[in-house]
Amino acid sequence: MRSADYVIKRLAFALFTIFMAITINFFLFRVIPGSAVTDLARVPNATPQLRHALTVEFGLNDSKLHQYFTYLWQLVHGNMGISYVNQQPVFPQLLNDLKNTIPMVTIGTVAAIIIGVFFGIVSAWRRDSAVDHVSTSLAIAFYSFPPQFLGLVLLILFAGTLPSSGMEYALAGVFGSVGFWSRLQDIGIHMVLPATTLCLTLYGEFTLIMRSSMLETLGEDYVLTARAKGLRNGKIVVRHALRNALLPIVTLVAMSLGWIMGGAIIIEFIFTWPGIGWAMWEAVSQRDYPMLQGGFLILAIAVVGCNFIADLAYFKLDPRVSE
Amino acid sequence: MSMLLQEAAVGPLPEVSRRPLRTVLRHHKSGLIGLGIILFFIVIALAAPVLMPYSPTVQSCAVFAPPSAKHWFGCDDGGIDLLSEIMLGGRISLLIGFAATLVSMVIGGGVGILSGYFGRWVDIVLMRITDYLLVIPPLAFALVVADVWGPSVVHVIIVIGILQWAPTARIIRAQVMTVKERVYVKRVRAMGASDTRIIARHVLPQVAPLLVANTVLTVAVAIYLETTLAFLGLEDPSSVTWGTILQHAFDRAAVSAGAWWTIVPDGIAISLLIMGCFLLGRAIEDALNPRLRVGHLSTRRWKLRPLVGLGPDAI
Amino acid sequence: MSLLEVRDLHVWFELPNGTELHAVQGVSFDLDHGERLGLVGESGCGKTTTILALMGLFPPSVSVAGEVIVNGENILGKGESLIRDYRWKELAMVFQGAMNALNPLMTVGRQIVEPMELHGIASGAAARKRAGELLEMVGIAASGADRYPHEFSGGMRQRASIAMGLACQPKILLADEPTTALDVMVQAQILELLVGLSNELGLALILVTHDLPVVAQVCERAAVMYAGKIIENGTTEDLYHRPRHPYTRLLFATTPDLYDDDDVISIPGVPPRLDRQIVGCPFQPRCDSAFERCSSEQPALKSLDVGHSAACHLNDVPVSVTAKPESSPRNGQALDAVDGSDDGS
Ligand SMILES: Nc1ncnc2c1ncn2[C@@H]1O[C@H](COP(=O)(O)OP(=O)(O)O)[C@@H](O)[C@H]1O
Ligand SMILES: [Mg+2]
Repeated sequence: MRSADYVIKRLAFALFTIFMAITINFFLFRVIPGSAVTDLARVPNATPQLRHALTVEFGLNDSKLHQYFTYLWQLVHGNMGISYVNQQPVFPQLLNDLKNTIPMVTIGTVAAIIIGVFFGIVSAWRRDSAVDHVSTSLAIAFYSFPPQFLGLVLLILFAGTLPSSGMEYALAGVFGSVGFWSRLQDIGIHMVLPATTLCLTLYGEFTLIMRSSMLETLGEDYVLTARAKGLRNGKIVVRHALRNALLPIVTLVAMSLGWIMGGAIIIEFIFTWPGIGWAMWEAVSQRDYPMLQGGFLILAIAVVGCNFIADLAYFKLDPRVSE
Repeated sequence: MSMLLQEAAVGPLPEVSRRPLRTVLRHHKSGLIGLGIILFFIVIALAAPVLMPYSPTVQSCAVFAPPSAKHWFGCDDGGIDLLSEIMLGGRISLLIGFAATLVSMVIGGGVGILSGYFGRWVDIVLMRITDYLLVIPPLAFALVVADVWGPSVVHVIIVIGILQWAPTARIIRAQVMTVKERVYVKRVRAMGASDTRIIARHVLPQVAPLLVANTVLTVAVAIYLETTLAFLGLEDPSSVTWGTILQHAFDRAAVSAGAWWTIVPDGIAISLLIMGCFLLGRAIEDALNPRLRVGHLSTRRWKLRPLVGLGPDAI
Repeated sequence: MSLLEVRDLHVWFELPNGTELHAVQGVSFDLDHGERLGLVGESGCGKTTTILALMGLFPPSVSVAGEVIVNGENILGKGESLIRDYRWKELAMVFQGAMNALNPLMTVGRQIVEPMELHGIASGAAARKRAGELLEMVGIAASGADRYPHEFSGGMRQRASIAMGLACQPKILLADEPTTALDVMVQAQILELLVGLSNELGLALILVTHDLPVVAQVCERAAVMYAGKIIENGTTEDLYHRPRHPYTRLLFATTPDLYDDDDVISIPGVPPRLDRQIVGCPFQPRCDSAFERCSSEQPALKSLDVGHSAACHLNDVPVSVTAKPESSPRNGQALDAVDGSDDGS
């Protein structure tokens, strides 16, 4: 029962947050004076037909409240509007972009977590040793590098060795004559730089957090108990300290997802990775508001969803959680 | 780059010592380094007009001229001296960083204090808004707002300020709730002091050092967001900031020209400033919330001393 | 041969500022099979450090001297890796404030089974069965083994810790303030449980506390610590009725307030800092019977009667002052005269 209660509560929170995102989205794009969607004069290459279609679809001549419900109604049906640029529905395009973003972000983030957790443990275990000092200093440095800087540096360093863009063509080859494996290899090669950049910009922070969490845990009485029982350091760390130290990491990683997505936008922009970040940047430069609005909403939903998953993971890991 | 490290540090605060900053700088060398870095950049930004070796708007050397004795950091695609540009760019980046932080401190500190002090529905409403801002992807949000409003320094300040107050509010709220329960605050309230007076006289001084630590860390995040928005082209294209310098380098084929000097010094300036803020902020937090705990792992054998001269009568 | 002999044990902590803190300054005592010894003293006097030393549990920045002899072998000479085999098997421990002594993410049962498997006492189903029996022995249903520590009350957690301590059938159980943070009723139950187990299993017990009356209730013998030293050692009878050190007398005199866990002992003044060299008797500044000699010369622990020793200069003078607490200040003056070192009043 405890678990049902908990899941329902977290789910309610997630849904509420998504609802907030949707509403704020509406305000940003429709209500704030001079905002985009209402001002059809700002729509690039708008034919009278398109204007008319948009006006009807979004009920732009109705009251704001009415517009809001129209907007919600359309959203529920998966309609996020039509791209101003190619005049195709936004939602399927964004879903397609998401398929490119997810593997890159997942690989980069997971790698960063593994590296960060590893160095965090080593640092805490060998506290104040040379290894700790080097690892902590590096972590602080990488924590401070903005992704655009790191990305550009990698771009220069690996110019000619690793592809920096051109992923679109790799994906375009999907239906071509190239086999599955060579396509995978192609995608993989293109993913190296963006995923590495993301990983490097994230790992420093995870290292620092893991280190302090581990240090905190190693000072707990149950660690002393474990040592008094006669356990070796390795066993103590693995069996008693690690799980306890990882608990705050789960929450913190979930909380940083919004930032990770921000990093992903820049990285996709630098490496022309055809994901959702790239789509958003293109939307910004072409004033394609429905696309931008949709992209933001999808990112927000993705982050809230991951937070929900993290909540469930925390629940699974910590028997004390009950509310 | 995020505010995680701050979130991790929330815990009950001990009573604040009288001169927190001095203790910080005396006992945490990294804090001193951080402060040094920040002051260095502030001085450069203030004195930029005097220090700049060349005009940041007029061509003074060849396009993409590499670093040389005359142009330490080389030149960009317009033949403009990069050292001068970086000095000037620091002004706006720092201005935006500090101004946005001020906005977020005022909002975050205010929300945190109100929420923690009054509790009940004030707390519930404010914390739901805070929760929302904490999960929303900040850069995506900034992208949307900056785009809808149009690029300008003031807009960027407001956007960053609005995005950054949530973590501050959370941290301050937690502290206010503990301060509120302290005996002397309860006593003062029992004596009939008004809420405003209690907040101003008793709550604020207690949370102030934490607010300072938080401010310093927020400056780092604000500068990061500023350079990122500028990099994505969401800032006034005519202004020179650390973000636009990187953007120009990227836009105008500096990478394919191999002109690393258009990227590296500028990127290092951004990173150094962020690092300085991080070091100082963390040192203040450590001083406020010292973790004296010893780890219980043994890393080596203990030292066994001979008992020579230590017999019962030796001491 | 005693079960445990501690000979001239010293522990120094290296402090971050480069100085040293001499936390334990030459402690010696014996413990026999089945004996219950109390270790008493104010907070910070080195009790915890002493008993952690008995298991070789030091933080990295420590140096030690002296001997801890278990079964005729000095375990301090062995280093961390060899001493591991002794831990929990010969000596087990119940920690201060059991709130955090149990890992919150592991069931109580697994934590009891863990040392059994480590030391090859039992494993698998047999170990789990034994864990259930141990829990029943301390008054918790065997099914409690499947529960997590947070599901237990403070008293139950302490009971579970005791069960965990008994897992490998140790000969000595060290209990560091096992009843702090528990309410009075539960405190009494835990102490009763410890006495019962000690009688039943022939278990030797070292009970660390800052509460002398508790020791008087549980232990046959007690050692009183002050500023890193044992300043009086004897049967609880002797300590109560015939204290030979003013500190012991004052400890008994200031009856602790049952409802206030901290600061139960309220002898005026504070103990000296241990990171500085102490000249004279460490208790001298707070002593109501101090005289000239106390501020210059440190008293050594001297045997006075059979099984009763104390470190106080008053014991060197013919009139026993400490036995008559009411009149001590006057006696102190009298002593100055006797000592012949009157500073010319
Ligand atoms: N890890 C440590 N590092 C430095 N000093 C310590 C450490 N542990 C204990 N001390 C010091 O050693 C002294 C004795 O402490 P402790 O054995 O915990 O006393 P008790 O258990 O009697 O309260 C105290 O002055 C304490 O400050
Ligand atoms: Mg203690």
